[in-house]
Formats: sequence, C-alpha cells, structure tokens
Amino acid sequence: MQRHSLTKALFVLPCLLAFVMVMLVPFFYGLFYSLTDWNGVSDSINFIGFAHFGRVFTQPGFLYSFLVTIAYTAINVVLVNVVGFALALLVTGNLRFRNFYRAGFFAPYLIGGIVLGYIWQFIFNNAVPALGAALASQSMQVSLLSRADAVIWAMSAVNTWQYAGYVMLIFIAAIQAIPVSLMEAAKIDGAGYFRRVTRILIPMTANAFTITLFLTLTTSFKQYDMNFTLTRGGPAARFLDQPVNASQLLAMNIFNTAQANHMAEAQAKAVILFVALVVVSLVQVSINKRKEVEQ
Amino acid sequence: MRRIITMALALCLLGGGALMAAPTTVTMMQLKVEIKDALDNYAAKYSAAHPGVTVSVETLGGGADFGGAIKAKIQAGQMPDIFVIEGQGQYNVFKDYIADLSDQPWVKDTDLAFKQNGKVYGFPVSIEGYGLAYNADILKKAGVDPASLTTRAAYEKAFAKIDGMKKALGLDAVVAMAASVSGGMWWVAGQHNLAAYWGGGLAADDTSVIQKALKGQVDDARFLQYAKYVQLLFKYADKNILLNGSYDNQVGSFAQGKTAFLHQGNWVDPNMKQLGVTFKMGYAPHAFLDTVEKGLYLFAPSWYCVNPKSPNAAAAKAFLASIAMTPDGQDYMVNQAGMIPAFKSVKLQPKGQLSQALMAANAKGGNYGVFFGMLPDGAGQNVFGPIYDLFAQNPDNIDQFVSDMKKAIAGLPKM
Repeated sequence: MQRHSLTKALFVLPCLLAFVMVMLVPFFYGLFYSLTDWNGVSDSINFIGFAHFGRVFTQPGFLYSFLVTIAYTAINVVLVNVVGFALALLVTGNLRFRNFYRAGFFAPYLIGGIVLGYIWQFIFNNAVPALGAALASQSMQVSLLSRADAVIWAMSAVNTWQYAGYVMLIFIAAIQAIPVSLMEAAKIDGAGYFRRVTRILIPMTANAFTITLFLTLTTSFKQYDMNFTLTRGGPAARFLDQPVNASQLLAMNIFNTAQANHMAEAQAKAVILFVALVVVSLVQVSINKRKEVEQ
Repeated sequence: MRRIITMALALCLLGGGALMAAPTTVTMMQLKVEIKDALDNYAAKYSAAHPGVTVSVETLGGGADFGGAIKAKIQAGQMPDIFVIEGQGQYNVFKDYIADLSDQPWVKDTDLAFKQNGKVYGFPVSIEGYGLAYNADILKKAGVDPASLTTRAAYEKAFAKIDGMKKALGLDAVVAMAASVSGGMWWVAGQHNLAAYWGGGLAADDTSVIQKALKGQVDDARFLQYAKYVQLLFKYADKNILLNGSYDNQVGSFAQGKTAFLHQGNWVDPNMKQLGVTFKMGYAPHAFLDTVEKGLYLFAPSWYCVNPKSPNAAAAKAFLASIAMTPDGQDYMVNQAGMIPAFKSVKLQPKGQLSQALMAANAKGGNYGVFFGMLPDGAGQNVFGPIYDLFAQNPDNIDQFVSDMKKAIAGLPKM
C-alpha cells in the first residue's frame, strides 16, 4: 500500500510540477509585484502596499476600460449565445446540406483572432465605405471603427461572427442529447414549434448554457488579440473630461501600462481583472447551475 | 558501468576544454527590421576578418515589444552584449546594464551620442529626420515654391491654393497625415509633430521648452501657435487617412500622387522605392511659428549600448567602433543599410531622395533637435495619442485641444 501511493505520487509529480512552476508560482509572484514599485528590470524593489490599487481607480483611462469591457462582455454574452442557439436550431432541423452549414458556421472559429481582426478592419475601413460611396449613403462612408459610439458594437459583431459557430456546436450536442420521444410527445399534445423550443429545448439544454455563458463571458473579458488588430483601442473619446481610448479593453490597458515600464501598476490592474473575472464567473455559474434540469 | 562513467567524465572534460578555447561570441539584439540583412552580412564579414570573435545578431522589430523582450532576456540571464535604447525612459530602466563609452574613438566624430551627465552611453545608430515632405512635381504645377514655406501663414496660403486645384491636380487631399489610435499612428502626431513644439525654431540643443514641460508647465503663446499649425494640417488632411489610416495608407497616398504633402521622415525612402515613385520630392520645414523657420528635425532615433556585466564587453565595443571608423563599416551603414550616418567623417551619400535632403540640411546647419525621447515612457501613446485623435475628429475645437494638452503636460511630472 505504501509503495502504491508512492507510485501514484510519482505519476502526479510531472503535472503537479508543471502546474506549480507555470501557474502557481507566477501567480503569487504577480500578487507580490502588484504591491511593489518594480519597473520590470531594476534590482531595487520597494514594497508600497496597496498604493497602485488606489491609484488606478482614479485614472479615467482605466475606469473607462473597465466599464467598456463590462459593456462589451454584456453585448457579447447576449449576441453570441442568441446567434449560436439560433444557428443550432437551424442546423438540427430538417435542413438540406445541414452538415455543410455546420462546418460553414464553425469555420470562422478556426481563423485566429489576429488574422480575423485585419480582415474585418479592411471590411469596415475600406469595403463598407466603398459600398457606401456606390450607394450614395452618407452614413456608410464613415467607418464604424472611427465612431466612438459604434466601435464596441462593431467589435462585438466580429466576435459573434467568430464565436457563434463554436457555441453552436455545444448547443447541437445538447439538443441531440434530448430524447426524441419528449419532443414527439409534445408535438402530439399540440405544442407549437415556439412552445416546444421555450418549454422543452431551452430547459433541457440549460447545462449547455452554463458552459457557453461561461465561455463567452471569460473570453470577452480577456479579449486582446482581435481588439489589437481591429481597433488598437481607437478612436479616442471623452470620459470624465479626459481623452481616453473608446475601445481599449482591460487587457489592452494592462498591456499598454506594462509597455510603458509601469510593470507593477500593470500587475495591479491584472490582479483587479482576475478578481473581477472570478467573482462574475462564480456568480454566473452558480445561477446557471440552479436552472439546470436533472435528466 | 564504471567504463561508461569514465567515458562520460572524459567527454565532459573534453567538452569543457573545447568551451574554454571557444571564440568569443558577441551577441547583439536590435530592432530595425529594415537593416537586418545588411547588419547580418556586416557581422558575418566582421567575424570572418576577426578570428576568435563571432558577432551574432538577433533582430526583433516591426512593432514588437523590444523593451519587453530585453526584460525577458535579463530574467533569463541571457542579456545581449549589445542592445538598443530609444531614449531617456529606456536608459532609466536599463541603466544597470549600460556601459560608459566615453573613451571610445568614435565619440569625437559625432554630435548625437547618447549622453548623461557629460558621459557617453550610447552609439548613435543613424540620423533620422523629417520635415513636411512635398511632391515637387505637384507643387510646381500648382505654382507653389517650396522654399517659400517658412511660416504658418505661408502654409495657409499654399494649402488653400492647392486645395482649390485638387481636381485639376488629381488629388484626394492636400496633406497625407495619420494621427489615429486605431491606425496605430499616434506617434506621427503625438511624437513627431509634437516635437515641433518642443524644439522648433530653437537651437539644436535647446531643451528649455521640454524641461519646462517635464515640470508641468506650458509656454502658452508658443503652444497656441503650434496648435494652430496642427489644426491647419488636420483641416487639409485626407480624412480617411487621418482618422483611421495605417502607415501604408498614408505613405501609399503620397506615393500615388494623391496628396501633395506627407508627414513622415526619411525612413519612407525604401517604401518610395518599392512603390516605384519617380517624382521629385524634398522637405519643407514644419514652420508653425509666426516667425520664419527653415530647419528640419534631425535626431538619432536609437542608440547601441554595451552591457558592462558581460565578459565580452571589450569585443562588443570594438565591433561598434568598427562600424563608425572603418571603410567597411561606413559602407555597411550608408550603402547596404541605407542609413544616414551620425558620424561627420563619413563622406558616402545615401540613395533615397529624402535622406539626401536631410543630409544636405545637416551639412547646411540650422536644424532643430528632437526631444520626445526625454518624456516619460508611455506619454506619447497613452496620454498624447488620444488627445490628437480627438482633435482630428473635430479640428474646429482648438480650445479643447489646447486645454487637453495643458492638462496632460501638467500631469507629466507625476508619470
């Protein structure tokens, strides 16, 4: 028995070691640095307590990034899941070529965020205005990406285009796991399509919603790549009487702070992002779990 | 078993012995992608000519986070022997790893070495510079003499005239200027254009205006003249390029003859060659003052520094000296890498039209210093960038721009 548990421990060791070295240790290092004035290089590191945490909340740029990230996440959670669920309904119905559609809707997910950002930047900045010029539509000739009030909607649209297909796959799996007899019984009892979806499909796929909401929530909160290639944070907008970047999400704000050699301050912002993300996703998962139906 | 151990030990000893006799390898990390091939070739040539020394160059650039990469190297214990700093901010960060180069033979041959408290710490990589580049053919057709563009009033007249002839000249707009955060072009406005306020019309080493700014103060009369110049540029700029254009959009528009002026430095010469530009071009000064200004803005954009903690520091210094002091090194700088050398004894001429214009201006003298490197890190991108972007969206609101900038400058001491 003694020998057995040693073997087990040895088997766990490589994974445990990797986890400790690349996750736990850097994480606690990060927590530590957020309480110092370290610039990323210097040998002298002074402990300054929670000074950064107080200071960042007086910066309009950071506050704005925080708020716009929440707005962006809210838009995404709704859009991605609604579109993804609608697509899933579509391709689980009696549709010809439905496997082709499934593959097609999923394809954008396979394009990396960087490439995708550049493609859509071209569409927004060149293709749409050219179309607008051809149609003599004044409003279409101004790129959505240069309008501070529209830019996060444009970003959400691109994000939905990318993630809806992925979320769709999860919904498809959940819908196919529902016993056919249930739907048929409802149909025989005279329930219309809409009623069957709202009363049977959605409750029965609640566990899928737990997953998809969690995924969309966390990916939107941490968004960086598409943000960088599509807008780089621009255009500028005014917030608390100070110019800020209208589409600069939290991750980009953190990165730009770090790049300006304010490493410890950036780390403090990263800790704030981490805490916010943990709180929000815990709340979301616990609410969703209550709605799940035991099968 | 014992034999295997003996063998292994012997191998280790052999390996160790080989390592001891191994030649010095000077590692260099630099960020100019456009000179990568030329520098690699020169390093190979130098290594071949100096038995026992190998120079290996790592190039990282094209918008990559160079400072971050060096930090990573330090953390990994692989700090290169030669690396690049771009100004005061990075000097402050990396100063523990920067050697005093005051005793080097090239120091007397240049005005642009990186100095700190009278000591030399950086080897100037090249001279770069800018004014407002113009398309000489278009100006000729429009009847505007570029030599007359020495005050803001002259620019106002010339811009209005060319704007009125846009159709006949086949122009989209008068000026190709990019200033947007979204196009990644905040540096054109927030660094290069703003440098006119810091140094324009002053002696090349007069840092009084920026010193004042670093204490949070603004010279109101001077700044208002500058703001009017920015407004002028923004009003006559191509709106799409200004508000969300990229570097390629901006340079491409000028190269295709769709704009008469370009707000970029001599680093666009290779782009012009690529785009097959045949028209004549030159530089007019950024004359933002009411009084006459004729100078261009010249600066060393970056400096090579030597890591004094490395055992190869002496070899690294010798390599840098060879670039400045030997015919091969000078040939590399001018002919292979297409740079303007910062060393006065170099007689070779670069090929690009704008580089030639700069070299002529340098020989003539009366140019202005470029001091944005003295600002705290992140000031250009995080503070000034969005202010210019906002002004570009609404160039009529000059009061807002002035008050935003004053507030931003007042916040500089706390950055």
